[in-house]
Amino acid sequence: MGRKFDIHYLLDFLPKLLSYLHITLFIVAASILLGLVVGFIIALPRLYKIPVLQRASQVYVSFFRGTPILIQLFLIYYGLPELLKLVHIDVSRANVLVFVILAYALHSGAFISEAIRAAVNGVDRGQVEAAYAIGMSGYQAFTRIVLPQALAISIPILANLVIGNLKDTSLAFTLGAMEMTGKSQTLASATQHFIETYIALSLIYFVISTILERTFHYLERRLLRHEKQVAEPAVRYGKRRLWKRTLITRLEKGG
Amino acid sequence: MSLDPGFIWTAFLSLFKALPNTLYITIVSVFVGFIIGTAIALIRIYRIPVLYPLASAYVLFIRGTPMLMHLLLIYFGLPIIIDGLASALGLGFNSTVIPLIGFAYISFSITAGAYMSEVVRAGILSVNRGQMEAAYSIGMTTPQALRRIVLPQALAVCLPNLSNNLIGMLHGSTLAFTVSVVEINAQAQIVAATNWKFLEAYIAAAVLFWGMTILIEQATAWLERRINKYNRGGVA
Repeated sequence: MGRKFDIHYLLDFLPKLLSYLHITLFIVAASILLGLVVGFIIALPRLYKIPVLQRASQVYVSFFRGTPILIQLFLIYYGLPELLKLVHIDVSRANVLVFVILAYALHSGAFISEAIRAAVNGVDRGQVEAAYAIGMSGYQAFTRIVLPQALAISIPILANLVIGNLKDTSLAFTLGAMEMTGKSQTLASATQHFIETYIALSLIYFVISTILERTFHYLERRLLRHEKQVAEPAVRYGKRRLWKRTLITRLEKGG
Repeated sequence: MSLDPGFIWTAFLSLFKALPNTLYITIVSVFVGFIIGTAIALIRIYRIPVLYPLASAYVLFIRGTPMLMHLLLIYFGLPIIIDGLASALGLGFNSTVIPLIGFAYISFSITAGAYMSEVVRAGILSVNRGQMEAAYSIGMTTPQALRRIVLPQALAVCLPNLSNNLIGMLHGSTLAFTVSVVEINAQAQIVAATNWKFLEAYIAAAVLFWGMTILIEQATAWLERRINKYNRGGVA
């Protein structure tokens, strides 16, 4: 199993793997952006309590939270072409990345919809009432008052989701997508230096997720600047912490 | 659409063969992970000298890298270490004695340990300081107070998080197929490839996982209600 450990290979593999970093990041960015759209569509029926759709979105969220991402990847890879065949669209020549991004988008869409729901519910009810009182329409109140505040609340959860998504993309190689992990597989089996490859790959993932974490932390502090001006900072902070705790309980993925 | 509904049921039944492996991996990794996590959490809360930075680095690294990396690093790295030690010390065995599922146990326990430590730490920190002081004032030692007073309460607080972790590890166990352990995902691949019916096999696997997840969620909700009984307000 493999050859003797050789540090030179590690240094040699780092740039080779880094040249595939943009594909990994592209998967993450595209799936999170798509996931935000999906999440919004899924969250709205539950926020406004629309009868039948509310139930449907519950089932959607339950399914995507209740099955492993690996299974979802395969389901979409094999299932989507069959579904599209019904409407006479041939996707057999489509790039595998399309399926990968779609799978991650649907998966993170479920988590994002929960985050949006929790964050919107986390905005004080009085804010919406005040918006209505000065004559805003429902749409105006949502986009101008609720959304900016909800965004700030949801940043820590979103950060968790993005980092989780980054780590999940390491599974895309199972469909044959050529991102960092896919490249590492070919590098490792070509040179038989498995351990060096995976150490290099882990280092890259570690650095990227640390950078992401720092960025989101900074973003959160910026978006919550206004909170500092509130009279009783200790009380406000405590309230926010409580929210954070309940949110993260529902949203953090182990592993 | 060329979907064969009957085969979903056939595949579903054959997946049960692999269910024990999935459950073993999940239970072992969560159980060992919980022990590691509690130790790490205590080290970090009490800031025990040398161990504190090590524990922090461990949690930071594991949480910053994908679970697949841990599995592959253990799978390819551990044999090198064991074989090196065995030949250096002249022990009579080598890494081939470790069963494949052993690698999954070890690496997923390490993964779970890091995530659990955060959960347990949050739980312990959420217990009121007065509880610890009250325990000291009636003459308990720190280990006694921790074991009898703080940890039971912390456990109740972090139950939802623990269940989330359990579900995460259940879903994570699908990765074990990369080191050729036949758990549900691997079994689905086998069934799919031998019958050339991929979609049906994965639908069956998804349904099985969905069912197990809902079961865990329901059990947690029930347990939460029970555990928090002492905690309700009122007089009766």
